[in-house]
Amino acid sequence: MSSHEADPRDAGRRDLEIRRLYRARPRSRFARWSGAALVLLVALAWSSSELRFGDYFSERRMANLERFLGELRPYPLQGKDFDLSVAASWAGEVLRGKGWAAAGVTLAMSVAAIVLAALGALALTLYAARTLASPEPYLPAPRPPSRARLWTWRAVVALSRALLIFVRSIPEYVWAFIFLAVLGPTAWPVVLALAVHNSGILGKLTAEVVENLDPEPLAALRGLGASRMQIAAAGLFPLILPRFLLYFFYRWETCVREATVLGMLGIVSLGYWIVDARARNHYDEMFFFVLIGAGIVLVGDLVSAVAREVIRRAA
Amino acid sequence: MAPEPGAVPGRRWSGHRGLVLVVIVAAGLWAGFELDLDPRDLLPGEGGWAIARELFAHALSPALDYEDEVPEGTRPLLLKALEAARLTVIFAAAAISLSVVFGVLLGFAASTAWWIGDPAGGHGAGTVARRSVRPLIYGVARVVITLMRSVHELIWAVLLLAAFGLSQLSAVIAIAIPYSGTLAKVFSEMLDEAPRDSALALRAAGASPAQVFLFGLLPRALPDMTAYAFYRFECALRSSAVLGFFGYPTLGYFIAASFENLHYGEVWTYLYTLFVLVALADWWSGALRRRLVG
Amino acid sequence: MRSGSASFRLEKACVRYGSEAAVEEVDLEIEPGEVVGFVGPSGAGKTTLLRLLNGTLRPTSGKVLIGGDDLGSLPVRRLREVRSRIGMVHQDLSLIPNLRVLRNVLIGRLGRLSLLGSARLLFFPPRREVRRVHELLERVGIGEKLYERTDRLSGGQRQRVAIARALYQEPAALLPDEPISSLDPARSRDTMRLLIEVCREGGITLCASLHDLAAARDFLPRLVGLRGGRVVFDRPTTELDDDDFHNLYDLAPEEMLNDGP
Repeated sequence: MSSHEADPRDAGRRDLEIRRLYRARPRSRFARWSGAALVLLVALAWSSSELRFGDYFSERRMANLERFLGELRPYPLQGKDFDLSVAASWAGEVLRGKGWAAAGVTLAMSVAAIVLAALGALALTLYAARTLASPEPYLPAPRPPSRARLWTWRAVVALSRALLIFVRSIPEYVWAFIFLAVLGPTAWPVVLALAVHNSGILGKLTAEVVENLDPEPLAALRGLGASRMQIAAAGLFPLILPRFLLYFFYRWETCVREATVLGMLGIVSLGYWIVDARARNHYDEMFFFVLIGAGIVLVGDLVSAVAREVIRRAA
Repeated sequence: MAPEPGAVPGRRWSGHRGLVLVVIVAAGLWAGFELDLDPRDLLPGEGGWAIARELFAHALSPALDYEDEVPEGTRPLLLKALEAARLTVIFAAAAISLSVVFGVLLGFAASTAWWIGDPAGGHGAGTVARRSVRPLIYGVARVVITLMRSVHELIWAVLLLAAFGLSQLSAVIAIAIPYSGTLAKVFSEMLDEAPRDSALALRAAGASPAQVFLFGLLPRALPDMTAYAFYRFECALRSSAVLGFFGYPTLGYFIAASFENLHYGEVWTYLYTLFVLVALADWWSGALRRRLVG
Repeated sequence: MRSGSASFRLEKACVRYGSEAAVEEVDLEIEPGEVVGFVGPSGAGKTTLLRLLNGTLRPTSGKVLIGGDDLGSLPVRRLREVRSRIGMVHQDLSLIPNLRVLRNVLIGRLGRLSLLGSARLLFFPPRREVRRVHELLERVGIGEKLYERTDRLSGGQRQRVAIARALYQEPAALLPDEPISSLDPARSRDTMRLLIEVCREGGITLCASLHDLAAARDFLPRLVGLRGGRVVFDRPTTELDDDDFHNLYDLAPEEMLNDGP
């Protein structure tokens, strides 16, 4: 058993064999190159002239930081001892004046956006899922479809997919910026921006779910003579609903996050008051609004987690 | 205990499903009224129409050169777009590298996979102390992660701008803070959900808890963690571009500037540049995921 | 128990989960280098018994001695040392699918290395260790697979990786848990032969749990019959007859209603 390496010639032969196996080892060049490219990218980033750590902790900046931290205290308390009742009444005033309303608007924008995004995603999925968007979904036709129909459907799928990629690769903030210029200052630009970007993401995820479905029951439906829309409504929708709702709530969490900042463009949500307070150099108020925003995000995460748990248990 | 498997859960499920859908619809209606969302407002005013028309007219003809006269010696538009793209990538890469480091550290601390108990226990002196320290580390890590995550990167950018003044490093840190939190949260979940069999086998072969975690559990979660980090890189590209709206010279800055100067062709040039960047990252992370996770 | 082969002794060992007893008052003596099989229906307590023997489970009452060491009184460090000398082949194999075979085998040695030492072994294995792993893989018949990714192997090949990993521990005892439950008959016999051969060669104590009675009778010289956590018989295979096995596997009426764990 432990008599290995008794013969040096045997060890040499073994080494040769090991080297042969090593050379022939299966390896993913792609993963290797990806790793190397990533390391290179990060090294380039940190060695670029734009990012300098030394300057960041210069005396000037530290003094700035100290002043900033001092101004985070509620205005009536600056330079005084901390007094909870004064702080509470100050906070109550800010909340009554702007806070509650802004929080409500932020939350409403996220909800309206995700509902619209869900509708958009479901509609686009019908044309982006290859299994459904074909001349003959799920069952071969008695006659093979004409070449023209085949290519039309292929074009439809390609176009819908391109649209999905495009809308999700442009950030919400950019969409909102453009919509604001076109539509003017209602809540629509923010809601639409969130809805468009998220329907791209939800649509991609849903299309994947649809393509991975077991085709058997849907083929049976098709055999009964159901149309494409009937299959979608009666067969697909109930099947994908649990997964879809999970994604729905995941994306709603991010919608809440984004809705707090999109106000920075000038719609009266929390983000608006944050940049407004900063412009007026009222850092205490700015910080308070940031905290409210964090609170909303936490509530959103919590609601979403509970909802997802309910769905997961039931599924 | 469970008569007719399937029947009862099915009924319960449809009840819950109906409820969830009703709540969603009701919430949507509430939101619409709260925001005064009037469908008629979706039709732009006269000025809006003009902008929309101009913008879409240029969708298929992005500018290849400046639309206005520029001073002698200005860099060609495409080079400028490339430079903005370079900075966008640099911010994203730097931010994601920071986030992975902190995300891994915090993710380890917030994972309960460390605690794989040892039913045979042991007579070590440190066990009681260790048992009481673990929940403390876990709790602190969870709170830190939540705080980092609950503030959006753009708000971090505003805060850092106010605290430190304009610096390119602020942009990187602003992205890195919430991204570290998100990575940590997801990493800890992946570690907790990774199959434990190989870890238990290592323990049975006499490995210490640290060895069990690093060489038995971590390798099981690593492909998923890598794929997710790549996906976050794609998101970081978008965040980095948007930081341009706050004065950093990434793609967002030039999108905003060209838009305000009514150079819609240039807007599309920058938009398509961003689209190509994100689509490339999307393709890269997708291809890697297929190879790693399969 | 530094090296060589391990002896085991169980004295009135019990393992209870709540009110349920998985192993009840088991007395057992296994000599160094012995080859023993644990047989019995599923849920009889075979796996629990193996986990007692490899020191990952503490008896609720009674004693487990490995090579003279009472597991109940060992400090953690010593307990780990004992475990590192016992090669368990888990039923689910417990390999890491996304690593190469070489690393999966190298992992078997970690119990005797420091954190730093194990990192060095895994990431920069010395030539000597690679040779050793290759030798073991050749011994179990899959030398060619040294650098293959483990999830690309067939079930039978993966099992051989798990055996090689246990052997790389330089174990004093080998404890395969249901080693042939997922193999076809020809491969089952191959695996049983291999296990017994490698243990005989190295003087390693072998305790295998099996529910396949035919294989157990064909290959193992001593059988311990378990049922409901108790030892029903413990004799050389030659002294056992069909009645013994009938009694072991026949379901009592009340047992038929339970599905067993």
